[in-house]
Formats: sequence, C-alpha cells, structure tokens
Amino acid sequence: MYVIEAKNLNKIYRARIKEEGIGGSFRALLKPTYKEVHAVHDISFSVKQGEILAFIGPNGAGKSTTIKMLTGILHPTSGEISVLGLNPVAERQKLSYRIGTVFGQKSQLWFHLPPTDSFALLGAIYDIDKAILNKRVKEITELFELGDLLKTPVRKLSLGQRIRCEVAASLLHAPDILFLDEPTIGLDVVVKQSIRELILRMNREQGTTIFLTSHDTGDVEQVCRRAIIIDQGRIILDQPVKKLKYDYLNRKIIAVRFDMPRHLDVPEGVKLEKEGKTAARLSVDTRIRPIDDVMRWLIAQGGVADITVSDPPMEEIISAIFKSSGGVES
Amino acid sequence: MKSLGKIFRLIGLYFKVNLASAMEYRSSFLLQAFGIALSNASFVFFWWIAFEQIGGRIGGYDFRDVMFIWALTSSAFGASNILFGNMNGITRLIVSGELDTFLLQPKDVLVSLLCARTSLSAWGDLVYGFVLMALTHSSDGMAWIMFLGGTIVGGLLMTAISVTAHTFTFYFGDASLIGDMALEFIINFCIYPQGIYHGFVRALMFTLIPASFIVHVPLKLARSFDIMWLLIMLGASILYCTLAYWFFYRGLKKYESGNLIITRM
Amino acid sequence: MKALRKYFTVFRISLENAFVYRSNILGGLLFYSLFIFVFFNLWRAIYQEGQVSGYSLTQIVWYLCITELIGFGSRSNIFHQMNDDVKSGSIAYQLNRPYKYVIYQFFNALGVMVFNFLICGVLAIILGLVMVGPIPGFRFTTLPFALISVILGIIMNFFILMTLGLTAFRLEENIAFYLIYQKLVFMLGMFIPVEFLPLWLQNIAKWLPFSYVTWAPARLVVAFSWDLFWTVVPIQILWVFVAIILSMMMYGYGIKGIQAHGG
Repeated sequence: MYVIEAKNLNKIYRARIKEEGIGGSFRALLKPTYKEVHAVHDISFSVKQGEILAFIGPNGAGKSTTIKMLTGILHPTSGEISVLGLNPVAERQKLSYRIGTVFGQKSQLWFHLPPTDSFALLGAIYDIDKAILNKRVKEITELFELGDLLKTPVRKLSLGQRIRCEVAASLLHAPDILFLDEPTIGLDVVVKQSIRELILRMNREQGTTIFLTSHDTGDVEQVCRRAIIIDQGRIILDQPVKKLKYDYLNRKIIAVRFDMPRHLDVPEGVKLEKEGKTAARLSVDTRIRPIDDVMRWLIAQGGVADITVSDPPMEEIISAIFKSSGGVES
Repeated sequence: MKSLGKIFRLIGLYFKVNLASAMEYRSSFLLQAFGIALSNASFVFFWWIAFEQIGGRIGGYDFRDVMFIWALTSSAFGASNILFGNMNGITRLIVSGELDTFLLQPKDVLVSLLCARTSLSAWGDLVYGFVLMALTHSSDGMAWIMFLGGTIVGGLLMTAISVTAHTFTFYFGDASLIGDMALEFIINFCIYPQGIYHGFVRALMFTLIPASFIVHVPLKLARSFDIMWLLIMLGASILYCTLAYWFFYRGLKKYESGNLIITRM
Repeated sequence: MKALRKYFTVFRISLENAFVYRSNILGGLLFYSLFIFVFFNLWRAIYQEGQVSGYSLTQIVWYLCITELIGFGSRSNIFHQMNDDVKSGSIAYQLNRPYKYVIYQFFNALGVMVFNFLICGVLAIILGLVMVGPIPGFRFTTLPFALISVILGIIMNFFILMTLGLTAFRLEENIAFYLIYQKLVFMLGMFIPVEFLPLWLQNIAKWLPFSYVTWAPARLVVAFSWDLFWTVVPIQILWVFVAIILSMMMYGYGIKGIQAHGG
C-alpha cells in the first residue's frame, strides 16, 4: 500500500526580479518583471507504508520544495499528489492531523518553557484527548529516553537534547508519516548518531513511515532503506540504499598530516589524490579495502599527527552517477 | 459561530502558554511593565501642563476626556499585544519562513500566528489604562463600560490594521516599514483630541487610520450614549477585522504558490 | 594628528554605511513628519484657546521641529548597543584594541547621527516653512551660535545614554534608566518648553542636565539672545564634560571588573 504518490510533479517559481535601489523598487512595483525558475521538474515516485526513504541531493536541488508540496505548504504548478489518500492542496488541514514534521531549525517548542508545556499546547492544537496525550507523552518519553529533559526549559537544553524533544513533539499526534527536512544539519557526530537511532527506533516500534531529506550521505547509509537522488529538480536515481552504497557510496576520503616529510606508497584500493610534503589526501575504495585496514597501514607509517575521515561530498556522488549512466552533466 | 468559538479557545490556549512563559522571567516582566507605565505617565504630565496654561478645553476635550482616550489607547494597545504579540512581527515570520510551522498545524493559521508570542511590556500598557481610569473616572459607570468594551474592540482594530499592513509582504515583499508606520500612525492619532484635526485628516481617522473608532467614538458614547454610533463603531470593527482576515488569506495563497521569492539583480 | 585618523576613518565608514539602510531613512523621515504634523495640529488647537507664555504659535512649531530634530539627530542606538556589548561580553574583545573605546564608539555613532541630522534638518526646514512660515525676527547671523548649542545638546545626549548603557556592568535590568532618562528629556524640554512649567519645577530643571539637551538649543534657534547664549552654552559644555568623564569612568570601572573576574 502506498502512502505517498506523486505523479509528474512540477514546480515553477515565478520570482519577481527587483533591481537595486529605490528607483528599482519603484519600477518593480509598477511594472514587475519576472523570472521563471523550474525548481522541480516532472518527478514521479511513490512511498510504501513503513518505508524509510531518503530524498537526497545537493543544496538547491529541489528537496525542500518537494517536501513542502507533499505537506501542503506549497502548491505544485502541475502534477498530482496523494498523501495518505488526501490531496495536500485541498485538504491540508485534514492531512495535518496525520503527518508530523521536523523542519530543520524551525522549532515547535517554546524557548523559555519546559517541553511539557509545549506538548500540552500541541496536544490541544491537534485535538488530542488529555488521557491519550498523557499516555502518548509517557510512551515517547520512554522511547526517546527524555526523562527529566521534559521538565527543563528548552533554552537550557543542549542542541542534541532539543532536537530529540523536537522530534518527540512532532510525534505526539501519532502521525502515519513523519517528514524530516535536514534533521541533522549543523549537528555534531554524536548528536547526529542519536537522532538517526531515534528515527530508526520510531520506524521499528511505531511503524511510522519516514520521509527524510538530507545532503548528508551518512543519514542515508545509516537510516534509510531506499534513496531517491534529486539534482536540479529531476530524479536521477531511485534505488535501494544497499545498491547505492555498493555502487556509489563506496569511497571514503582520508586527510592525513605527518609531523615530518614523508612519501607514501599506497596499497591497492587506495588512491593518492593529493600529496604535499607532510600531508596527503587519500581516496579509499571500501569494497576493496576496509577503512580500518587503511588506518592500520597509515599508523604503521609512523609519525601521524592528524587524521580526518570523511564522506565524499554529494556533488561528487552525483557526477559519478551521471558518468556511469552515460548521461551528460548539465 | 461554532468556528468563532474554536478561535476563542485557541486564543485562550496560547494565552495560557504565553503567560507561563512570561512567568519564567518574573522580575524582568514586572520591571518592563512598570517602566512602560512610568513612561506613559509622562504624557499625563504634558496634558497637566497644557491644561494649566490654557484651562478649559483643547480641541473640544477637557482633561478628563483626554485621560479617557489615553487610558483606552493604552489598554487597547496592551490587550492586543498581550494576546496577539506577533502582530508586529508578521513580516519577519513570513520572510524567515517561520510561517510554515503554522501552515503545518491543523488550526487557523492567522490566529495561531498572532497568538504564538506575547509582549511583556504590554501588561504595563494594559494596567496603566485601568489606573488612569480609576484616577479620573472612578465612579462613572458608562465610561467604564465604554472603556472595557473599547479595550476589546480597539485592540481588535489595532490588530486588524497591523495585520493588513504587514500582509503587504505577501504582495510586494518586505513590508515591515508599512507595518511599523501603520501602528505608529494609529497610536499617534488616538492619543490626541479628535478636534485638533479637520477635513481630510479627520476623514482619514474614520477610514484608512480608524483611530476615531478606537477611542474618539467610545468617548462620545461614554459622554452621551447614542445607539447609532455604537452600531457604526461595531460595524466598522467587524468590517476591518473581516477585511484583514480576508486580505491575509488572499496573500497566503500567493505564499503557497511560492511566488514570493524576491531576487536582487 | 595621526592618532585621530582612526577615529575619523570609523566616522567616515559609519557615515557611508548609513546610506545603505534606505528603508530606515525613509522610516525616519516619515516618523519625523508624523510627529511634527500631530504636534502642529495639537498646538494650533491649544493656541485657539489662548496665548501661552513666551511663545507664538510659529515659534512653538519651530521649537518642536528643532527638539525633534535633536531627538532624531542623536538617534544612535548607543544605549542598546552598550547594553548588548556588556551583557554578551563582546566588550572584552575590545580591550586589546589600540583605541579609546568610548571615543571610538562616539565616532562610530557620529556617522549615523550626522546623517540623520542632515536629512531630518532639511525636512525640518521644509515642514516649518510649509506649516507656519519663517520665524518672525529670525536672523541668520545668530544661527551658527544657536547651532553650537544644538550640537552640544546632541553630544551631551549621546554620552549620557552611553553612561546609562554601561551601567549594565553592574545592573542586570538597566532599561528602566533609559526609559526614565528619555521621559525626563521629553518632559523637561522636548515636548514642552521649560517656560511652560510651574516656577518651582523650572528652578529644579535649571540644575539638571535634561533641559539642556533640547530646550536650550531650540530656544536659541527660535528666539536668540546673547544673554541666554552665555547662560546656557557654558552649562552645556560643563554637562558634556561631566557626561564624557562619567562614561569613561563607567567603562574603566567595568573593565577592571572584567580583568579581575574574567567577566
């Protein structure tokens, strides 16, 4: 059973162009000039109940526009959307009772109050019965291990704790689908990891369908089972994460710095991308050589002063997809 | 009617949370409220001096009349900013995209948006009006009725004007200046006798800047009740609120169609 | 001379910067016009009832144009900026810079103040001429002397506000000072000429700084007399010095606290 279906979705912004200066503002008022931006280009996809889908792509690819159309904030220029059998354009209010949203840095929590107070307000906004709300809050508190956090004013919470409460707030009305727009943006590794675990647990124990946008490949690898990659408003890939991982997310980037000049003879599966006197940038094919192998080898070289391991940026993955599909990158 | 009841419930809900939030900063809250009341008091000083110099009436109003319009302006402004603390920040909410949060909730967007914040210092304005009334109209029943009713109606009118002005953001981009201007104009035309203006400006006060419906008509009613004027005042208020509501939702459609983004060339 | 260059540079930059905020400029002009228009109507109504001691309607309208001009011309946000700098602790970063903080801040704000003063000044002249016409008996030869007093008023206002802002070193909630100061300036000159006050209050006002911010300069513009000039300008200069010294002391005192306790 599909819970989200999108067919031939298009979004064209007609942006008003404003020239610099007061004169420009005035001219724009009298005779506005427009520029068309094709943000989402004829995309179609569907999501099954209970799925965890990653909607990924670089900044400005059309991810946020799509998620806004699915939740009813933006109306599509053309195409059809059905979310839980509802049309987000005409039935946004009805839909809102059944979906939850965590939008980047936009908070649903009241800064000066403990989350319980915000929960009570949200409970009322979503017309949740008091008894049911209490039960639900208890459930989520246990699931997310919130404990005393609920009694602490939000301003005193750490960023990670705050996001955990934020996700909890979006789940009070037991939504069927949870939309997360860049949930881990700006978080440190530890917090990122705990948010990812949270999302997984929620999906497992509550059966919530997850629709997640991100430009962090880590989110995709660790959380999602299926990924849609979007670039310049078009879907360029729609496949299981397992396959994506094997085909494209198979590299790690290692930046290493030594405390004295050194020359590296790299083993198979490792490529030397850049070499300086005391530093180097390596690209590791993890299919051939696991990352801990490479680390051991590096340490064995002696005199390592600093190591950073990172994923290749999204842009690189996308150009790899284009190359392998024989498409021409525009 | 049923939907109006729902809106009142929503306002009540937000009010409770806002109050709890204000209580987190009790001392700052009291100090701000006190500071505002004190700063309003300086206007009483001005009027006291002016009437000392002249005696009698200014612009057709005596000292008590002026105190009445001052009390009403202050309390109406206070009430509207306590309940609808976001009324001055609508442009910011639209431009920053915070509006989305309210679009995703199943309740009335405009009402949730307005109520999601309160102003601490506004309590000072609200209380100040009551103190002024107690000092100058202690046992004048009709004046109190008009003051209390006017606080609600006037507060709604101020909110309606502010909403309308800020809503221009949906149509032309950042309208924070228009928003600030609208409120500043309203207040400045509220706190002086109607009689000091003539002709065109007087007409403005019954139309574009409906200050007269907020304070001057209630004063007239308090001094000599006239059912006609009461109906005109109530009708005008309903009209302004309805227009503001309609204008906002019309603008919101533009937001939903995503044609707001203003790029600089 | 070379030591002054940095202050002049920051002044120049802040002046250029002031041109950027177009909507602020427009807003300032509109609000200024609104206040003058409302007061003009109010005083016209008052004068229909009778004569007020010492000022004709023309004089009082011009008087308000000038006091509001001083108000707008010294609109510099300095109080809030000091307040924020102290509370956020960013003032500590300024410690190791090779300039006098207080003086630097003055020149930094001066750009905005000069800008506001000039554009509102032009507007003030236009509004005054349109509403009530020229001041009877006005002489251009004495205007420069009156302007000295105007400038002194603005400087005085700036440093008093700065001192009040710097009280944040000791007091968490110092906004009340700001409001009270503003209202005192407002009541003892900006809104009502001191001559209108009851005699006992006039006597008190003479010994306080507030009237010298707006009343003295505005009075000199609308009804210049050498007697008045030689009475008020020395007092203004005195208050300017007191305010500068107070703000420097306040700053030095606060900084000592930071150095001793690490903020």
